[in-house]
Amino acid sequence: MRVLVCGVGYRFLRDNAVGVHITDTLAPQAHNGIEFEDLGYHPVGFTQNLDERPDYDRIVFVGAVDRSREPGTVTAYKYDHVLPPADEINERVADSVTGSISLDNLIIVAEAFKALPEDVWVIEIQPADETWGEGFSPEVDAKLEEITETIWTLTKL
Amino acid sequence: MCFKNLPIEFDAQGNATLKPGVANPYSYTETPLPTPIEDDPEKMRELFARNSEVRRVDFDPVTRVAGALAFHTVVDLENRNVLETASMATLFRGYEIILQGRDPRDAIFISSRACGVCGGVHATASALACEMAFGVKPPPMGIVARNLLLSVEYLYDHPIHLSLLAGPDFSEAAVRETNPEIWERARNTKTRGAATHGYALMSDLMTDLTPLTGKLYLEGLYYTRLAREAYVLIGGKYPHPETVIPGGVSSHIDVSDLNEIMLRVVKYFDYGRKTAAIWDDISEFFYEVNPKYRDIGTRPASMIEPGQWDDPYAYDATYENCDEWGRRRWAPPGVIVDGELVTTSLQMLNAGVEEFVEHAFYEEWTGNGTNNEYYKHKTDPAGNPLSPWHPWNKETIPKPQATSWKEKYSWSTAPRWDRMAMETGAYSRIYAAAQTGGKDFRDSPYLESTGHSMKIHLPKAELPNTEIEWKIPETWGAFERNRARAYCILYTAAIAYDNLQLAYELLRKGGPDAKLSTPYKMPTDHRIGVGLWGAGRGYLTHHLEMDKGVLQNYQILTPSTWMASPKDPFGKPGPYEEAVLATPLLENYEKPEDFKGIDVLRAIRSFDPCMPCTTHMHMDGRTVSREIVSCACGAVGDHEH
Repeated sequence: MRVLVCGVGYRFLRDNAVGVHITDTLAPQAHNGIEFEDLGYHPVGFTQNLDERPDYDRIVFVGAVDRSREPGTVTAYKYDHVLPPADEINERVADSVTGSISLDNLIIVAEAFKALPEDVWVIEIQPADETWGEGFSPEVDAKLEEITETIWTLTKL
Repeated sequence: MCFKNLPIEFDAQGNATLKPGVANPYSYTETPLPTPIEDDPEKMRELFARNSEVRRVDFDPVTRVAGALAFHTVVDLENRNVLETASMATLFRGYEIILQGRDPRDAIFISSRACGVCGGVHATASALACEMAFGVKPPPMGIVARNLLLSVEYLYDHPIHLSLLAGPDFSEAAVRETNPEIWERARNTKTRGAATHGYALMSDLMTDLTPLTGKLYLEGLYYTRLAREAYVLIGGKYPHPETVIPGGVSSHIDVSDLNEIMLRVVKYFDYGRKTAAIWDDISEFFYEVNPKYRDIGTRPASMIEPGQWDDPYAYDATYENCDEWGRRRWAPPGVIVDGELVTTSLQMLNAGVEEFVEHAFYEEWTGNGTNNEYYKHKTDPAGNPLSPWHPWNKETIPKPQATSWKEKYSWSTAPRWDRMAMETGAYSRIYAAAQTGGKDFRDSPYLESTGHSMKIHLPKAELPNTEIEWKIPETWGAFERNRARAYCILYTAAIAYDNLQLAYELLRKGGPDAKLSTPYKMPTDHRIGVGLWGAGRGYLTHHLEMDKGVLQNYQILTPSTWMASPKDPFGKPGPYEEAVLATPLLENYEKPEDFKGIDVLRAIRSFDPCMPCTTHMHMDGRTVSREIVSCACGAVGDHEH
């Protein structure tokens, strides 16, 4: 079984970096087909990289997304593979190739180019502070353990 | 000599001096902008009396543009012209403030984050500025390695624009929607370049420009991948390299690395031929349909190009010698005014630059010229006069406020050279190089500058080895920008190929020239430096001033700052504004509500806008806006728009 856990976000933007922080932290514990990867780079690049790899049975994306929830809220859900209209996808591809990193861009672009397996999970964290700097807000800091546990749970198939 | 508007003259030896006997020689009288149409009831009444199809059309954001650009227009749909334009950079780039007080070497890594497309060029421009300030010269192999990084970065950048950002404006879907009669004609029009690109009919070519599914769109994505793969072999990662340092690069390069890069670069020989043929066909087809398409996005061919790709045996990192090493670049420096190359001197290029803020959300820092006597750098290190508004004298003082088309409406400053608006791009480097006629230009077996064209002699790959020649067009406009950018894939591939051969030779010879970096000692006294370089989209400079080992001032001037510029204090529009004002509305619409603005968008996108954004805006210790580091984020801030 192959599981890829992808951390998404920008470093040094406090809570926005939570996804890549988690995958950095867990990477040394990769084992038995479980891989951790910093995806704070390029949705199109990631899509192209997936073409080169053996198929994953499950991909788990983790990152901060502002959905106006209570700060620190952790939401895990199975991705439904429903894509937005083509115009929006096209705009997201343009965003992606010009450097915009976001969980939504990554998933939509990867799905649009049919790079994702059927079994995809998303763990979103509502950020409280995305200003310049290291470390996390107290709300997100308090949830690091919960996020980690959720990830380990999702790596068990 | 080269300046018509600045108070600079030249002595018999050609040395630049200020015109004597003029108090505050750089001061000027501001020309007020006319009252915007929507704020002028009398003008509105007059226009509506003539026809009722004058509309305000705002493109906010302009999509398929890297970053946060909004564009305001007032259009006359009856007479099919544009009456008023305003280009708005809707985000503040706070790097100048973030970098103050830091180790200058931090700027290499921090300024790279100004852009998610072309971070590598910021890193390199920053390293060049550090080198000049520190007094360190890289070994030839270090310079060649940087040239290779730049080349493959451009081979990433140009396909993005042509296939993913501008290309969709000429796709089947866009043309059918906005000009169905042109689509019908395309279905019956044979292409000229079928032998090269494989499309017999224009309609087939347009169909394959379709986003997400078109073969040309997908092929463009594929070529961005090849370039990134080549880049990371030296840069470590992309778009923010880890190996660009003052004095060269910190990576190790062996023959297998060069082979891997070569394997990728040669693939652009055919891709470049094909892309040039495609954009030749697109341009000529539209011109045949309606010659007015030449006027989409037209403006005088006035361009500024610092040049790039240093000669490994000429570059010495000094400002004093920059005219000599600049003229040995594969893309020479050049300022082109209305189609004429007026200088290839990097010192004159630099001395002619000013940034104005009358219509930008910044505070003026000189008292509008009245405090001229207080400005810090009255001359550059070679003794040439500098303006109080020169980047070495610039202070970044953000002042968010309500948008007013008459007063302030953009976060972009208004850069000017000799007080004229300049554009810049991939095309400015091939344009300037073509105009040199081989003079002031590094010899290359693969490039031949004729004075009116650039011939590119590349080895044959799979496609027939036809002669490739980009010719300076008579009329400068949107289609010519795209066409020239397409030829720049080949221009860049030729330079990459040339540098790869140099790299093999340096590795074969070994010795000190084959080292990748020069050790240096960090100075602690007062120094200044400038990185004069290029981005995929054109002009890029980083000016720094340091003392006691930290940055006192850091100023980044990017291509899109030149081109997205608001109006200047002389009442003249920035390049986007000027180009859209000249654009005829050739779109087919019966009712005003059907108007899509495709010709306006083609004009804007032809510049390949890239609006570098900010991570933060710091003002008096208060964060007033925040946004993610990239070129493609939305506007967030507490300023009013």
